[in-house]
Amino acid sequence: MTGILGLYMFDERWRVGSFGRYGLLALQHRGEETAGLVTLGERFESVRGFGTVDEVLSDSRVRKLGGHLCLGQVSPYKCAPEDVAPLMVEGRWRVALILDGKITDIEGYRWNPELSYERNVVKAFSEDLSRYDNPIDAVKGFFEKCRGGFSFITLDGEGNMVAGRDPLGVKPLTLGKMGFDGGIVSSETCVMDTIGERTPVSPAEDVEPGKVMVFTPLSARMETVATCPRRAYCSFEYVYLARPDSYVNGIPIYRVRKRIGELLAEENPVDADVVIGVPATAIPFAMAYSNATGIPIEKGFEQTGRRVRSAMKPTQFERLKGVQLKLNVIAEAVRGKRVILIDDSVVRGNTMANIVYLMKEKGAKEVHVRIGSPHIVSHCPFGTEVPPEDELIGRHLSEDKIAEVVGADSFHYLSLEGLVKAIGLPKSQLCLGCFTGEYPEVVG
Amino acid sequence: MKVLLVGCASREMVIAEAFKRSVHEPRLYCIGPFVNPGIHRICKDTGGKYFRGSITDPNVVADHAELISADMVFVGPEEPNFRGIPDEVERRGIACVGAKRAVAEIEMSKASMRDLQWKYRIPGRLWYKKFKTFEEAIPYLKEYAESVALKPARQAGGKGVKVIEDFQVYLQEEKRELKYKHAKTIVERYMSRYGDMEYKLLIEERVWGPEYTLQCFTDGRCVKPMPVVQDNKHAFESDLGPETGGMGSISCGMNLRWGVDSDEAILTMEEVEKSAEIVWKMIDAIQRETGERYHGVVAGQMMLTSTWGPTIIEMYSRFGDPEGVNVLPIMKSDIVEICEAIVDERLSKVKVEFEEKATVVKSVAPEGYPEKRELSKGHPVWLDEEAARREGVGVYWASVDLREDGSIVSTGSRVVEFLGVADDVPTASEIAERGVGYVKLLDGWRLFHRSDIGSPTSLRRRMELAELARDIYKYKERKGILGKRMIWMPGKGLIEVG
Repeated sequence: MTGILGLYMFDERWRVGSFGRYGLLALQHRGEETAGLVTLGERFESVRGFGTVDEVLSDSRVRKLGGHLCLGQVSPYKCAPEDVAPLMVEGRWRVALILDGKITDIEGYRWNPELSYERNVVKAFSEDLSRYDNPIDAVKGFFEKCRGGFSFITLDGEGNMVAGRDPLGVKPLTLGKMGFDGGIVSSETCVMDTIGERTPVSPAEDVEPGKVMVFTPLSARMETVATCPRRAYCSFEYVYLARPDSYVNGIPIYRVRKRIGELLAEENPVDADVVIGVPATAIPFAMAYSNATGIPIEKGFEQTGRRVRSAMKPTQFERLKGVQLKLNVIAEAVRGKRVILIDDSVVRGNTMANIVYLMKEKGAKEVHVRIGSPHIVSHCPFGTEVPPEDELIGRHLSEDKIAEVVGADSFHYLSLEGLVKAIGLPKSQLCLGCFTGEYPEVVG
Repeated sequence: MKVLLVGCASREMVIAEAFKRSVHEPRLYCIGPFVNPGIHRICKDTGGKYFRGSITDPNVVADHAELISADMVFVGPEEPNFRGIPDEVERRGIACVGAKRAVAEIEMSKASMRDLQWKYRIPGRLWYKKFKTFEEAIPYLKEYAESVALKPARQAGGKGVKVIEDFQVYLQEEKRELKYKHAKTIVERYMSRYGDMEYKLLIEERVWGPEYTLQCFTDGRCVKPMPVVQDNKHAFESDLGPETGGMGSISCGMNLRWGVDSDEAILTMEEVEKSAEIVWKMIDAIQRETGERYHGVVAGQMMLTSTWGPTIIEMYSRFGDPEGVNVLPIMKSDIVEICEAIVDERLSKVKVEFEEKATVVKSVAPEGYPEKRELSKGHPVWLDEEAARREGVGVYWASVDLREDGSIVSTGSRVVEFLGVADDVPTASEIAERGVGYVKLLDGWRLFHRSDIGSPTSLRRRMELAELARDIYKYKERKGILGKRMIWMPGKGLIEVG
């Protein structure tokens, strides 16, 4: 996954660079490896590179950008320098492109294994451009040929911005506004809170799967390009990916995370003295668990250095470094106590083993681990960072065995049914592939 | 009886239709710079006539009124009021419904309107500052202005207003920059064509809440309110896009209910009454100030704010457009009788009644409107009025011109407005929506409208917004600090405004 953002100001006098920078800052949790911003006024201008938003898109750099339109992306993937988004597609028109999720197939295009994923997409798109009379139709036409689970935003040299989602709606995309001045399209609604208008009623709505939001210098309209009876909303957005202050597919993330905590308490009750959540994602789980059981919640950890999403780091070294710096156990909170330790997910189990070990070392009598999602068994074809299947602890070991491996007194996942219940949508509308291995058939 | 109607937009077409419905069977005449095909037909049907001519030159209008020996002149838009059309017509001994130059000041000068409101301490007054030049405004913009509305000090056809929220310090530089640019544009562009106003620029505090329009008839002795209407100012769906004159509007009962039998409403009846009281106080104040009587239509373009509850954003010296299209078609009372009562100043004795119905108006405009109007001009319009009417849709021609050869072309704004009437707003919205399929531009240029006006989602949002604003202003009311703004300035102490 990545975090994507498009800003369209109707008044050409705006300079939009800072809006893009702070909007991307609100999406930083969706990726810290690359950040990039392309603006368009009289011409395309860009800043992109490796690192966080603060590192790549400093105030002084973005303030130099002209233009009243922009696209921006943060990504958790390491890639070649030329593949740092936004991507530029050259052809009959110049089109800047950003993508969340993954295109798995493009009708009429043969993937070149010599090229990166990004280069393939750019090549396929640029070859396709010449078939259309105008850039808006070209974007719509190209993405109709794409299969997979993805959201996209494009900005062409004629000043049109097109944003859309695949017909299954795997990845989220929301639409917000800035008063009479402009529109915002982004992965999550927290962007609207950061740079949008200060309106007390939720200013965002979804771009529905199979639809595109088209902005032109003269109009803004939602168009339907494909219809599909089913949905396959990524369930991992609710568990981990999205920010708790965002709404995804109209559902408040915070509500789902609280519900998960309550269900964890219901599904595998255990007698204990304190509940501790692993920061930051699992805190709402732990709060709800505590509220439901009456077992007090404690702050179990203090972090060193700035906040990072350790699970999204590409190497084991960086993940462990992240965890060890982020999760210094507060001895006073655990000494002599039976602890219920809650985390959002377990991928390889290494970081969990590290945490349980640190907790016992600081004097916890018992550690009962509860995980706010089912066991991960499968690699995501739509780009969510799940490692190869032979690395997944949940695919190979039972809960009891995992408890022993990580050194916990008990270990339980949330059931699949529990997750579905917590999200509150019918199972048929969700993609639960990373927990079941079954992915929706991608359609065009 | 002969009536001369001044103006040629959809607002004037509903006025014409109301005259046509009158039991007094007036002969309707109309004068306007363009020929509205709908009004043109009504004039013909009633035995009257349509004149193409200036409506901002008092002599031209008065001459036409004399030419047809009009018994009464009804002025539709605001600009004729500002140019003293009603004054000249009355001077020639012809009855006129329309705000005279002096009292139309409440719309014409946004600065005078605020001055008046503060002088007479009328509730719902926003904090403001007026400037004669851009340079004068610079220090103020630099030091104080945060979230503000920048307005031309004169009503400039609804153009030039910009609201800039400036509360995120990390975006302040860009927002300040735009405030300067826009303040300059107001003085140098929007106000340049008007030499009739000392002040050029108005800066007001920015407020939030649901907007609504309360239109009233007035004879200068009382106001008779009509059902409250809510306009949708954003050009595009989902409340996106630049500010327009209005892309459509809703009403249901006096207080913007969901349906006629529904308890859910955007406003409470108490808020409607308060709003009517505010509008009356404005009329009373301008009459005291000028010694002139207000005969005509007045409207408060209002907002339910967290600062004040009912708050004046602007005043209209006429019906709103499209808001007029919501109310006149469901008016049960006879417009001739109302007009006569206005002229004779006995309006309090006349009943002004409306059907208990939900109404939704949807405007259709050529692309280019509202910011690049040149692009929206001159397109030939095709409209199957009969077919739309058969589907139960009210059809009102707006900014178009019926040419000698029978063709109809767009003149740079909304071309037609469709009206749906039903027992609840979402149903009325669906009815109005049916009309949209019967209009197109013959040269293939794209038209746009908003299907979301009056939809359940949009209604729900506005009700939620009203509730949030209400919670806060009610709290202030309880504390006795309604309309007061208090700022603790470290080192200086407590500053109170209001």
